[in-house]
Amino acid sequence: MSPPQEKCLPRKSLPPGIAAAGIWLICACSSTYASQSALQPGGPLAKAIADLFWGMVAIGGIILFIVLAMLAVALLRARSKAEPKPLTFTQSRNLVFVSGVVIPALILTVFVISSAAVNREIVAPMPEHALTIQVTGHQWWWEVDYLDTEGNHVAKTANEIRIPVGKPVRIALEASDVIHSFWIPQLNGKTDMVPGKRNLTWVKADRPGSYLGQCTEFCGKQHAKMAFTVDAVPEEEFDAWLQRQAQPAREPATENESKGRQVFLRSSCAMCHAIRGTSALASVAPDLTHIGSRKTLAAGTLENMPGTLSSWILSPQSFKPGSHMPATVLAGEDLGNLVEYLLSLE
Amino acid sequence: MDSYRDFFLYPGWLLVGFLTVSCSQDSTQSNPASSPPEVAQANYPHNNSTSPAWLEANEDGQWAMPAKNYASTRYSGLEQINRDNVKNLKLAWTFSTGLTPGHEAAPVFVNDTLYVVTPYPNTVYALSLDGSKKWEYKPGTHQESQGMACCDVVNRGLVHADGKLFFNTLDNHAIALEAATGKELWKTKVGDLKRGETMTMAPLVVKGKMLVGNSGGEMGVRGWLKALDTETGELLWTAYSTGPDKEVLIGEDFRPFYPQDQGKDLGANSWPPEMWKIGGGTVWGWLSYDPELDLVYYGTGNPGPWNPDFRPGDNKWTLTVFARRPDDGSAIWAYQVEPHDLYDYDGVNESLLLDLPVNGEQRKVLVRPERNGHVYVMDRASGEVLSANTYVPVNVTEGVDLKTGQMRKVKDKQPGTNRTVHNICPAAPGGKDWQPSAYSPRTGLIYMPHNNLCMDMHGMQANYIAGTPYVGSDVKMFAGPGGHRGVYTAWDPVAGRKVWSIKEDFPVWSGTVATAGDIVFYGTMDRWFKALDAKTGKLLWKYRVGSGIVGQPVTFQDKDGKQYVAIFSGVGGWSGAIVSGGLDARDGTAALGFANAMKDLPQHTDKGGQLYVFSL
Amino acid sequence: MFSPFSKSAAALSLPVAALSLLLLSGCEDQAALRNAENPPSPPVNRVAEFGPGTEDAVLKPHPYMDNRHAINEGKRLYGWFNCAGCHANGGGGMGPPLIDKHWIYGSEPAQIFASIMEGRPNGMPAFHGKIPEQEAWKIVAYVRSLGGLDKDLPAGASSRPLQDEAESDLREGETP
Repeated sequence: MSPPQEKCLPRKSLPPGIAAAGIWLICACSSTYASQSALQPGGPLAKAIADLFWGMVAIGGIILFIVLAMLAVALLRARSKAEPKPLTFTQSRNLVFVSGVVIPALILTVFVISSAAVNREIVAPMPEHALTIQVTGHQWWWEVDYLDTEGNHVAKTANEIRIPVGKPVRIALEASDVIHSFWIPQLNGKTDMVPGKRNLTWVKADRPGSYLGQCTEFCGKQHAKMAFTVDAVPEEEFDAWLQRQAQPAREPATENESKGRQVFLRSSCAMCHAIRGTSALASVAPDLTHIGSRKTLAAGTLENMPGTLSSWILSPQSFKPGSHMPATVLAGEDLGNLVEYLLSLE
Repeated sequence: MDSYRDFFLYPGWLLVGFLTVSCSQDSTQSNPASSPPEVAQANYPHNNSTSPAWLEANEDGQWAMPAKNYASTRYSGLEQINRDNVKNLKLAWTFSTGLTPGHEAAPVFVNDTLYVVTPYPNTVYALSLDGSKKWEYKPGTHQESQGMACCDVVNRGLVHADGKLFFNTLDNHAIALEAATGKELWKTKVGDLKRGETMTMAPLVVKGKMLVGNSGGEMGVRGWLKALDTETGELLWTAYSTGPDKEVLIGEDFRPFYPQDQGKDLGANSWPPEMWKIGGGTVWGWLSYDPELDLVYYGTGNPGPWNPDFRPGDNKWTLTVFARRPDDGSAIWAYQVEPHDLYDYDGVNESLLLDLPVNGEQRKVLVRPERNGHVYVMDRASGEVLSANTYVPVNVTEGVDLKTGQMRKVKDKQPGTNRTVHNICPAAPGGKDWQPSAYSPRTGLIYMPHNNLCMDMHGMQANYIAGTPYVGSDVKMFAGPGGHRGVYTAWDPVAGRKVWSIKEDFPVWSGTVATAGDIVFYGTMDRWFKALDAKTGKLLWKYRVGSGIVGQPVTFQDKDGKQYVAIFSGVGGWSGAIVSGGLDARDGTAALGFANAMKDLPQHTDKGGQLYVFSL
Repeated sequence: MFSPFSKSAAALSLPVAALSLLLLSGCEDQAALRNAENPPSPPVNRVAEFGPGTEDAVLKPHPYMDNRHAINEGKRLYGWFNCAGCHANGGGGMGPPLIDKHWIYGSEPAQIFASIMEGRPNGMPAFHGKIPEQEAWKIVAYVRSLGGLDKDLPAGASSRPLQDEAESDLREGETP
């Protein structure tokens, strides 16, 4: 990483004010649609982690306060004229033993036990017939498969996960290319996604809402633009939604839409993407069967609207340099029809 | 692919150890190569198995279909050439096809005329018994089809019925010719090249219907069996191998024996959404027919893609044995040999229809030497598995539970995306691939030409693009335990064990024929055509042909009573693609990994198709 | 829709080091990507002056010649677009090998490009309109590297699979 640094950044360091503003800006932008703070837990698992965090902050704070207080006392007493009275061997030994071994051991024991307890809660075995969602990490997007209680795959989406509120959901994690990591800060801790391995985690949302997730293992150029949203919705709504997602794509309703489908099938789109119900069933890029129902494009990079979708198709590299999606050259009319068709797929 | 290299460097000592155990139990290894096994002559017939009662007992000296008869026994009652005089067998004449792909077809002999169909471009020749050409027919097979055939552009033969010849072309046409003149009677397009479909199988003609199936399990093809009217070529019915019951022709009469095969629309529900449309289950192998029960039997091919992670579920009805009514195609029973195939073990091999005793009771059975290394004996009326014993070393499964009909799979042998599994035995072409076996009622034995191959398998991303391969696996094959790659085995279907076997250096990729002269014929890829004593396995005669043999031997008699034996030479097929396709074996994954096991084949044979006809 | 930056997230704000890392990671291949957006115009796709002869073919430069990044990308696309299904890792199968010296339709970049885009009569499908030209040139770069054709490739960039040394071949001799 060192050689490019010199090329990319000015040699002189930035004025602190600008740097701070930059950090603030980055952080502000990263919370695009929903909160991404582990300290605003949306479910029992994240809450356990947040509680542990606050507990540790509190204990650490108290210790810090005590240490500072003792330091202050020591400094004040050092200024006084009083002749220091040396401790006896036993006194100093006991002091070192108690404050250096016993007290830290007690504190650490509390920490170890409490974090082990939280860990136990987080990795607890799932209820037998929990809903399972299989998430596969790709450079740089998320493939999402919904399984029924018998393990049959019923629907496939990308970059957006939907879960029923109040229900535990098992998440099976895989990776197709490099190591990624799956983190929904408001719902659980992170779990790595390792090629060739299947890791399990689970989430439960206590209240409906949108939660932001993010890849948290550096996975290449567009690691930063590998986000996803988790929408927790009431169970009936979830079931209805899942049923819609399980359906093949709807047939084109207008002439433009059916022209758009033709464009999709005869251009390079069909080499990588699938639209179930058509002959396009490729699997190296996000499944677009219900793309019209998604809020974002390219793993949270752009809002999903006609304008952004057109721009994305024409020049993905402008928005997400290094993305595996190549630029597609299309005539204006074809592009319009294609976008109209894609956004009709709800 | 750097990582690909690395994972082959991990030794699989434990697996080798496991193999050692499983092999020491398997007496296949006890015979040195080509040595006559010790079997007392007086022991024959070896058991109480017989051909079905409905099979004509009288030998007419003809050979009208590749399997010889509906029971697929490939047995001829001719005995002019026998154990004593086969050593005098002489070449009568040869005929060159001028083609270089693998010649897998069986010649067909009816009314003193020998009919052959070549690999692409699927020319049909009618030859007199003096070797002269009566007529030829060129179907104009589309050139592009060559790029769609997974494992060489082969054709497995034509069928003669009612004065007509029936065969398929690589570009998905079913054709009927007038046998006397070679005139085209009809030509029906039954498949779509653009979707990766091809046709290589030999059809079966039953009750005025020509039954044909497609190839392309490596191209994301959806398998089917179609029936065409032999008079008009009109499509009568289509039975898909995957999809909803309506399209698989599963209806009221469907009575599968085991619970796992019962249920509604399993052909669609046992797949991720829509994947059954590109899920394979092609019907490129052999069909048999029982006129008494009025059932057609066949098996379906592998699910696609090979990488199992892309198709979670049972993947019905791939690797399934079907029994169907020929009239309307309706399924009567089905048995999925292995749900969720992991290793490309197509279930397309031949079903030999026999009657044999099970627990003292004579049962109507079908015997299937499956690619997964087991010989299945099944009740052909109900689909119940009566026995399933291994005939090659198997380390990925631990036998079939005869109560449930389910295969016990070894868990840590499951390949998947970004995972490599070493030393899978048998390899993708199975214990035995398409090369059909024969049954002699005189010895009670089944004669199986087969492989002894293992493989390493690595799962990768699979991407479906219509008309291109859909595999998602890197495979490298190598010789199985013992170091030889082929075996010719005489198998007792009643006891479910081997009686004798001959080791061959290369996979025995030819068919075989058994005769009443108590001899069996087969060919090897290193260019030998051999005759063995059917009782002892002793080598009685061999002849060196021009190119490796992957064809099917047949025997027949002219009107003067003279017996002939005919076989195609011309190496190719999946195993011989390294020669016929000029592949570069420095890449072991060439030819879907078969090239790795066949690196030395080019030193033994070159390509070129030629028909050999022998007589005394 | 854009919610303001929440105050608790500030507690987790990224350290400056992480920030600079993020900025840097975008820089590495900017030059290569700029080229990818505006590649030099492709050569005319004439296979030969007349007939399929390739003996006198003159090597013309192509957009991604000797570009290691493009060769890597080409390797990924070679897998994604199922080239490997027929040509394996260069050893061939349904299609001819790509690592030997025998080139049926010529090994010149423009000829390989034409094979991919226009297809060949014995079964090579035409990918014109299916694979964007820039991606096809990347595949050309990879295929040529498979055949060891671009001699001045940087060390280690050749993609030739040297599987002769692989472990499983050694097992053949072992008799349990």
